[in-house]
Amino acid sequence: MLISCPLCGPRDATEFRYVDERRQRPDPEQASPQQWRDYLYVRANPSGPARELWLHRSGCRQYLFVDRHTLTNEVQTAALARTEGTR
Amino acid sequence: MASLADCTSMPKVLVRASPDLGDSLGVHFGLSTRDSSGALVVGYGYGEWLVLDAPDPVPDVIQRLEATPYDGLRSVIDVTHGHALLRLTGADTADLLSRLCPIDLSDDVTPNGAALRAPVGGLGVALVRDDVDGERSYLLVVDRSYAESLRDMLVDAGHEFGLAVAG
Amino acid sequence: MTSSHRLPPQPGEVIDRAQRFTFRWNGRPYQAYAGDTIASALAASGVRVLSRSLKYHRPRGLLSADFNDPNCMVTADGEPNVRAAHRLVSPGMSVSSQDTWPSLRFDVKAANQLVGRFLGPGFYYKTFMRPQRLWPAYDKVLGRFSHGGYAPTAPDVDRYDQRYAHPDVLVAGGGPAGMAAAVAAADAGARVLLVDEEHHLGGHLRWADAEGLEILRELRAAVQAAGIEVMTDSVVTGRYDGNWVSVLQRSVPGVRERLVKARAKHMIVAPGLIDRPYVVGGNDLPGVMLSTAVRRLVNLYAVKPGERAVVLTANTAGDAVAADLGRAGVDVVRVLDARQDEDVVRIVGRSAVRAVECSDGAVVDCDLVVTAIGWTAPLTLATVSGGRAEFRAEAARFVPVGLPDDVSAVGGIVGDGSTDQLMEHATAVGREAARRASHRAVALAAGVPHARVTAPADTPAVAIPDLRPAAHPMLSLGRTDGIVDFSEDVSAKDLKSAVREGYDSIELAKRYTTATMGPSQGKLEGVNSIAAVAAATGAGLAETGTTTGRPPYVPVSLGALAGRSHQLLRRSPLQGWHDSHGAAPLYAGSWVRPDHYGDPAAEVQAVRDAVGIIDVTPLGKFDLRGPDVPDLLELLYINKWRKLGVGSVRYGVMCAEDGVVLDDGVTGRLGPEHYLMTTTSSGAEATYDWMERWLQTERRQWRVHVTPVTSNYASINVAGPRSRELLARLTDLDLAPDAFRYMQVRTGAVAGIADCVVWRIGFTGELSFEVHVPAGHGLHVWKALLATGSDLGIRPFGIEAQRILRLEKGHLIVGQDTDGLTQAYGAGLDWAVKLDKPDFAGKPELVWQQMRDDYLRLVGLQPVDGAVVPPEASQIVEDGTRIVGRITSSRMSPTLGHAVCLGLLAPHLSSAGTTVTVRLPGGGSIQARVMPELAHVDPEGVRLRG
Repeated sequence: MLISCPLCGPRDATEFRYVDERRQRPDPEQASPQQWRDYLYVRANPSGPARELWLHRSGCRQYLFVDRHTLTNEVQTAALARTEGTR
Repeated sequence: MASLADCTSMPKVLVRASPDLGDSLGVHFGLSTRDSSGALVVGYGYGEWLVLDAPDPVPDVIQRLEATPYDGLRSVIDVTHGHALLRLTGADTADLLSRLCPIDLSDDVTPNGAALRAPVGGLGVALVRDDVDGERSYLLVVDRSYAESLRDMLVDAGHEFGLAVAG
Repeated sequence: MTSSHRLPPQPGEVIDRAQRFTFRWNGRPYQAYAGDTIASALAASGVRVLSRSLKYHRPRGLLSADFNDPNCMVTADGEPNVRAAHRLVSPGMSVSSQDTWPSLRFDVKAANQLVGRFLGPGFYYKTFMRPQRLWPAYDKVLGRFSHGGYAPTAPDVDRYDQRYAHPDVLVAGGGPAGMAAAVAAADAGARVLLVDEEHHLGGHLRWADAEGLEILRELRAAVQAAGIEVMTDSVVTGRYDGNWVSVLQRSVPGVRERLVKARAKHMIVAPGLIDRPYVVGGNDLPGVMLSTAVRRLVNLYAVKPGERAVVLTANTAGDAVAADLGRAGVDVVRVLDARQDEDVVRIVGRSAVRAVECSDGAVVDCDLVVTAIGWTAPLTLATVSGGRAEFRAEAARFVPVGLPDDVSAVGGIVGDGSTDQLMEHATAVGREAARRASHRAVALAAGVPHARVTAPADTPAVAIPDLRPAAHPMLSLGRTDGIVDFSEDVSAKDLKSAVREGYDSIELAKRYTTATMGPSQGKLEGVNSIAAVAAATGAGLAETGTTTGRPPYVPVSLGALAGRSHQLLRRSPLQGWHDSHGAAPLYAGSWVRPDHYGDPAAEVQAVRDAVGIIDVTPLGKFDLRGPDVPDLLELLYINKWRKLGVGSVRYGVMCAEDGVVLDDGVTGRLGPEHYLMTTTSSGAEATYDWMERWLQTERRQWRVHVTPVTSNYASINVAGPRSRELLARLTDLDLAPDAFRYMQVRTGAVAGIADCVVWRIGFTGELSFEVHVPAGHGLHVWKALLATGSDLGIRPFGIEAQRILRLEKGHLIVGQDTDGLTQAYGAGLDWAVKLDKPDFAGKPELVWQQMRDDYLRLVGLQPVDGAVVPPEASQIVEDGTRIVGRITSSRMSPTLGHAVCLGLLAPHLSSAGTTVTVRLPGGGSIQARVMPELAHVDPEGVRLRG
């Protein structure tokens, strides 16, 4: 499986570490116990297109938002988490 | 033919800022360049540069880097002691590194001046192609604590290429 | 033994008659030439039986005479399961047959033949299932019947290797088509890697006529001229996502096996075709061979395979073998042409072929039966790449369809034709492969900042000439039942009865009978297995389908998968000193550290009474800069940080979002916007990832730079009542108790080394200063401390002494005294949790933990009998059996003279003075008392504040 790191270019998946599904942390002051429990423990685990957070651990050490098809391992996009949506 | 030299004592200064600082430093992530002083400025990460092989003392280098016009948060850190630096020189060195490193080191993909971070024998290494007098040469920057491990692996992989170890 | 069956020189032979030597087969000497395989050398000496079959222990001889040959697994120089028809024999090699007792010629277990009707499919499942309690005994006896050789018991001293490759085009198979494709791709500018399983390129051209041999010479010259990297005796074992291709490379000097990991931009599959055995009674007798086996023996090794031959042919390969045999002086007594409806009914013999019953009723005496009844296309590499196997009934074989864009096929698996036609097709495919690879190279390089790959001219796709499989009669199962899977000793009858028992799909019948599950993995027997199942179900071959091929295509040694044996170890700059001063190494996470220098109790004593120094370089260290560092600290730590002044340090604990303790350490403020954070040694990497995750995802607006500086410093903890006195001799820093207080930090020179960071903390419970020295000068400062402190009673101390010291003081170690469920309150960190902070990682869970009050909590414990140290992880029990906690740390305290522990304990037992029962792992139990504090020594903290 190849992941195209937006900084380093295409690299083998073994250089990366899967971190989690892509999620937003709820505001702990506003979140209901149910929302907080979902944030901590519930994952969608889709069979198909997935939105994930990866870390390019052996490369640029940047966190990436990776859109990946879990059945084909095809990576549609990989974007820098720190700038995604800001430009 | 290939040779390995330990250049760990060479000054190393890390600069951190936003990627925009690359415009004034003259180089962005993935490439390296010699600045006017002759120091090798390596685009080392996202908004990170590693200045190697500077001719002047570290405090002067730090001062110079802090004086470069820039508005945002900038950190200039002496990392001379934190990293080991090895230089691998010779025509066979790309072949030698192919025993340990998954990156395509052919001239069109990783030409002279290229800088990248990749696993070498399972270690996180910054690799800079920095040819010497036209001869293929790589600088390898690794966490100092792993220096012996990296050197042992290079020496082991270098047997079949007649690797000569200096320094 | 002399080479009685060796022919005069043959035009395409691969043996070097100038190099003749001796090797041993089952203890007796045999002659061989350089270039011989073990099997060809034995065949040249007239040896016909090479093994006994798996179940019935029938004698077996050469069948395909190549790597796939199921009948010649041997042990060579102690290495088991060597393929004798592939492995080159070497001078002095000692080769023996496997799983034969007392000898290959007389094998006791051949009695299985007599009871063969009881050894039908599922015999083992049915017979040894009940009673279940006897299974261990069955397993032991059955183990003696296992077919493989014995794994050597000595350590493997051979070298194994790995390397990476980035070919534009990787060609798997070096026959005429593969070579032509490789040359065409290289001529079109591609970097080409050509891989072939055999010892020489050429495929079937190696046993071709003079004209074919001339083409082969030209092709080999062209391959060389084109600068193609060639790997012979090497196999493509698998293809994975993104054309990640694994190649097992053998015959590398000084290396037993090398695993090549190739990221190919295009792969061309060119495995050729496999001669399929004919399933007929007696088909496994020594002397029954495939046409390609005979052609190899005669043409490559100049071996006469028999004296009187019967040939069954359905194609040109069978016709050609008759000519080869004639040239070799073999009397071809009968050629049966399947295209004329001639057939072999049964092959007769006991330990070797004696005669053949022909379809016209004739019984012909012979010692050699050669069959050429059809081809199997080895499609594994095509199907693991995403293609499908489609059956072409008129050609009696499967072909690959639906290959992805970056994989193509050439040669026999695609279709039939003259050598010229095959090469013409392959040339076009090779050129197209180079074209696609050049586009792929541009796409791959597009995201690489330093790549200078130039886009190729936009040329149209190369037209690929048509190549289809030729018409061929479908022959598989003959008129009598024979062996289908020679490796597993599965007959056509076994497969048919499996279907009758209800295992009527190919995947089920395969698993029930183990057909195609042996060493040949379906390469020879796959299609015949399908045919046997199809015959029993009445379905066609196309409907029956194939079994699923999976990598690796051939066995890969664990050594090759492991690669070079490297131990990645982190070493502090002081480790060399520790090594040369008798330190016992402790492998802790990725670091090697000094466990002790011979006497940990004395090291403890030195720290309590005088002064000791310990190398704590592995502590994770992070340089934090920026105006928003306090925000980061407030978020990550459970305690408060905003009021930390310049020159002060603080102990902090981090929790994950589920409130579980993640890490702890000391962080100091060096300047207004400059901090130095330390973490545990083993948690440094995870903590770094954790900090960066917040900064790169949830808190992107914060202006903070986190830089790992663990290895920038050699870190030395100077601990003990005389540590101040010692350090004062080496620094101008004012160390007076009022000038440099507990939990403060100073920067300055130590032993002449500038820019040291010194902080006053107390993990050991003693007055202590942690000195962070620029790493290159660490050894200098370490030696200076030892030399300067010699009159103070200084000793270096190791991890064991530090563990005792901190346990006496009741300081927890994350991961030792906490586990993956221990939230902050459970670790006795109530004092640190600041729920009045607006937000921090783990806060909501800790709010709930505090309300719950149902969790195990960390307490100090002392055994009533102070001489007994309960081992760590001993359970604490109630009412004899109910587990209510466990000992997390325990040592004999040199300071107190009795055992001290930390433990996690249920809340109703955790108040001071309670006596609990600790169950010892070896049986028996002891009583232990819950202490009022975690600290056993100096709970008031007088010593470290002194």
